[in-house]
Amino acid sequence: MSVSSLFIILVSAILVNNFILSRFLGICPFLGVSKQVETAFGMGMAVTFVMALASIITYLAQILILEELNIQYMQTIVFILVIASLVQFVEMVIQKSSPTLYQSLGVFLPLITTNCAVLGLTLINISQEYNLIETIVHAIGAALGFTLAIVLFAAIRERLELSHVPKAFKGFPIALITASLMSLAFLGFAGLV
Amino acid sequence: MKPNRIFMKGLIYDNPVFVQVLGMCPTLAVTNSAFNALGMGLATTAVLVGSNVAISLLKNFIPSKIRIPSFIVVIATFVTVIGMLLKAYLPALNAALGIFIPLIVVNCLILARAESFASKSSAIGSLVDGAGMGLGFTGALVILGMVREWLGAGTIFGNVVMWSSFEPARFMTMPPGAFLALGLLLALFNKITSKDLNEL
Amino acid sequence: MKEIIKLGVILLIITSVAGLILGFTNDLTQGIIQERALAETREALIALLPEAEDFAIIDDEEMLSRRNILEVYEGISNGEVIGYTVQVNPQGYDGRIKMLVGISGEGRITGVKVGEHTETPGVGSKIADASFTNQFLDKSTEAEFIPTKGGETDDQYIEAISGATVSSEAAVEGVNSARSLFEEVLKNR
Repeated sequence: MSVSSLFIILVSAILVNNFILSRFLGICPFLGVSKQVETAFGMGMAVTFVMALASIITYLAQILILEELNIQYMQTIVFILVIASLVQFVEMVIQKSSPTLYQSLGVFLPLITTNCAVLGLTLINISQEYNLIETIVHAIGAALGFTLAIVLFAAIRERLELSHVPKAFKGFPIALITASLMSLAFLGFAGLV
Repeated sequence: MKPNRIFMKGLIYDNPVFVQVLGMCPTLAVTNSAFNALGMGLATTAVLVGSNVAISLLKNFIPSKIRIPSFIVVIATFVTVIGMLLKAYLPALNAALGIFIPLIVVNCLILARAESFASKSSAIGSLVDGAGMGLGFTGALVILGMVREWLGAGTIFGNVVMWSSFEPARFMTMPPGAFLALGLLLALFNKITSKDLNEL
Repeated sequence: MKEIIKLGVILLIITSVAGLILGFTNDLTQGIIQERALAETREALIALLPEAEDFAIIDDEEMLSRRNILEVYEGISNGEVIGYTVQVNPQGYDGRIKMLVGISGEGRITGVKVGEHTETPGVGSKIADASFTNQFLDKSTEAEFIPTKGGETDDQYIEAISGATVSSEAAVEGVNSARSLFEEVLKNR
């Protein structure tokens, strides 16, 4: 494993196989929490944090427990429970240690459990047979890609608020069409590396 | 509420995709062909019916403090069982849906029905609710899948429906096409259901 | 405290029941899944080494610990080994690429088949096309294959797919892994 292969994993996760715009993971928060740049950024940071931790823990759970005991069929249950308890734990820690951070991130934390980007990431890590370092790099790339997409999207939606939109297109339809154009732009990254 | 009312609510009036806008990840990801969309919709329906009934039966046994993790375990069990069955009997579909099979666990629709309906209703009501919502979800996915496959490949369910010189817009089966098609369909749904049809 | 224990026990019961159900379903479906996978692998093996009548898996720690090597099969005809198929999984643009490489006993590539991969559709996915994989056909395993964009025509050069350099290089690397396994180990068996 070389530095260049890690770099490829990173760039590919951020731009080419962007979790939201090309893999369709994490669409719910993408549409739900993207009305303002500030909250979008908060969501991005919270997801980054959970993604990095969840990737490491599920990787260890896969190697040390599931494969060791040969019960890979428990994978989905174990991973989702790890993520759910991790989110709860992170919520408690942030609440105790930094009330200001909690105020900005707290509301998003419970939503992350059912964010398919996190479970999706942990499952992709395993199916790609990444080792621990590759797993961490992939998690960081995925999280940065998620944050990039949601922040850019929020910036566009802030402007959209001010423009005249036909009634039938108000809300989700115009948001989805905006996302389509962003996704089209990100297609340009295919074949980048 | 009468069973047929519950059923129609899920199928149309409270349609998971067009009205509630839930479960967007699979809606966008696996609708590049009508067949995949149908498979995904039916797999989700099976999980939804199973988990709804199980949770309704267990509702007095599960303390409210740990209901969410309990629901998740129940849902994850059904998802894994469905995944195994697909892998054994429909491997091609399983390969096409890939990671989105285990991801049914985090389809917000299923947890939302468990929390807001099954944990408060009878088993039969939950069964009907699961079937209605599931088929409503399936219907929306299939419509989207048909539109995307038609424009993107010139076929519907694999049958050629366009004239031979028709040049399909590959774009529609790619990610941007998914967002675009769903956005336009939602707008159309809004237009049809809005009371004032003259105002667009 | 007592309540926490009670909640924990209930959650544990639910999870155990879930585990039991899954274990049961797993037993039920595993046989079918494995059989199907085996049949698929066999089909692919026959396509790469059509002259072989039978295939045997070579279970050799040392071979499997080599870079990119997943599985090694020997193709047998009239009781003699006439070639090998090697399953490799080089790291591609986005994730690993599963490939099967067929090598005849005389050291010629009899075929390359790209299996599961997650390369970019329409770009990197072209490594699975016959126009790319047929470049390896009937070439000698003695020299390392080199991906090129310049149009060199010597035997060891493989024309990369334009716009998909990483995927092409990965596929070539996969074939090279199988090639060097043959040259360094299998040939001398």
